[in-house]
Amino acid sequence: MDNVTYLANVTHPVQLGVLIAIYFFYTGLSAGSFVLSSLGTVFGIEKYKPIAKAGVIMAIALLAIAPLHLIADLEQPGRFYTLFFRLNPTSAISYGTFLLTLYPLNSIIYLWFLMRKDFAAGANQVSGFRQKLYRFLTFGKTDLSPEAVAKDAKRAKLLGTLGVPLALLVHGYTGFILANIQARALWHTGLMPLIFLMSAMVSGTGLLILVLLLSQRFFSPERSITPERKKLILDIAQLMLWFIVVDASLMVIDFIVLYYTNAAGRAAAELFLYGSHRTMFLGVEAGLGLFVPFLLLLIPRTKGSLSWISLASFLTLVGVIAMRVNFVIGGQQLPLTGNTLNPYTADPRHLMFIAVFALAELAILYFAFRFLPVFGLPKTPPAPVNYQGQVGAK
Amino acid sequence: MASQTKRYAMVIDLRKCVGCNACTVSCKIENQVPEGVFRTWVKEIEKGTYPQITRFRLPRLCNHCDNAPCLAACPVQATYRAEDGTIMVDYDHCIGCKYCMAACPYDARFINPIRKTAEKCTFCYHRVKAGLLPACVTTCVGGARIFGDLNDPQSLVAKLVANNPVQVLKPDMSTKPMVFYIGADQDIMGARYGDLEKGERKHG
Repeated sequence: MDNVTYLANVTHPVQLGVLIAIYFFYTGLSAGSFVLSSLGTVFGIEKYKPIAKAGVIMAIALLAIAPLHLIADLEQPGRFYTLFFRLNPTSAISYGTFLLTLYPLNSIIYLWFLMRKDFAAGANQVSGFRQKLYRFLTFGKTDLSPEAVAKDAKRAKLLGTLGVPLALLVHGYTGFILANIQARALWHTGLMPLIFLMSAMVSGTGLLILVLLLSQRFFSPERSITPERKKLILDIAQLMLWFIVVDASLMVIDFIVLYYTNAAGRAAAELFLYGSHRTMFLGVEAGLGLFVPFLLLLIPRTKGSLSWISLASFLTLVGVIAMRVNFVIGGQQLPLTGNTLNPYTADPRHLMFIAVFALAELAILYFAFRFLPVFGLPKTPPAPVNYQGQVGAK
Repeated sequence: MASQTKRYAMVIDLRKCVGCNACTVSCKIENQVPEGVFRTWVKEIEKGTYPQITRFRLPRLCNHCDNAPCLAACPVQATYRAEDGTIMVDYDHCIGCKYCMAACPYDARFINPIRKTAEKCTFCYHRVKAGLLPACVTTCVGGARIFGDLNDPQSLVAKLVANNPVQVLKPDMSTKPMVFYIGADQDIMGARYGDLEKGERKHG
């Protein structure tokens, strides 16, 4: 019987909104940049070693801000700490609580072992505020002998090796948060953690490229993107091309199977392919976020140009934000009862939180890349000191 | 649930429901449910074309599932099962993460805008403890709502479930709901995705 008119029903607005979507975006960026950082230190691919520190600083800075979105989304934010001791082994959020704690801690210690020799050397080479900062950050471990440095590298490799599965779990668990919900047809697929991981790699690479371009240009000792650096960035961009290919393939597979699941799954697929979410999904997420960057990274004329690659990287970020919003909010808009989409209106307070957190994130990234020896120490040795201890007397 | 001595359940005989919403009102008063949110409500559709037309109603509430997704989802064990099978929310421990609301296939939960925690039907736990029936059951003018212990074979709910063709909502979710309907029409029990595909927005 087709002719059915709804006379009365209760509306059920979407509950997990834009804060959760942006949280997924941040953790994805963090996991993606950590994995890229580990290519040099853990997997021993020599050419990626120069970006190891930048990647892990980004991973830490992003994960410092990410959980704030979750707390801001709670109705009872003051009770968030109970997540640590009132555990529920069947809830993905319970696992996430510990992953979100362990992963940044591990990353910070990993970063310290990567940077200790720079701090120790820097404490003698640079002057002023940075010298004090570097001296403090050595925590008294100023040994610069080759054995000590080799030991650092070994420890960093161990922590990095631990960090890779942690990074994958941190982002994989966010996929499980959605995938474990049988009630929501769009979410309930085994592909969800993988889709989240691959889009994390895409966006993590995208942001890393942008951060590398800006920080190497303005904060590195050379204040420029040297030819070796450009070569490395172009190399990373080609990695991104493959991440985009895998991410897009997973998405295509997901939607094909979604079409053949059940009434709700088919409705979800049609909502995204033909319905009101078409522009956001096909236009922004798939078109601007995957297809255009894919082309830019494929065409010989654009794939060698840093400005085109910056555009491609920026577009992947836009696309992945759209993907998080589409899946989190779109997944809940599909009705469980009734015949209309569940309404969603973004709470202005939530949008304000997102803006404040984004500014905080930029500030952390700025200070980290400005003051930490991410790209090594200034090459020029300090002015020679003469017998009387007068600096630079000539 | 066999391990429990009591397993409270509800049978809603839709042949007797007139859609008066007395249950909705009494629940609001009994449980002080704020404006705009509902622990129980009555869904109503009109099916067919005049003169071949019928109205169907479906009182809705928490199903107190045997295999409750909200129970599995809650990260702080604020959702728990009481000794009589009722699914409850501990308002002092709920952090308001809303994950249970995403997990519930029945849209039974909401955030209480005053208390700022998740909330839903409790089968009037406080009344049942005191030997009374849930407010919606006592107020139902047609006697459509029947409440009782499913583990007691002599109870009216157990007899009704045993002797009538009963339906539950979304059995494919394997949630094992404890609210049984007699005479429910398939068009009112779930979502009508066909309307979405056509882009129609029929409002009641």
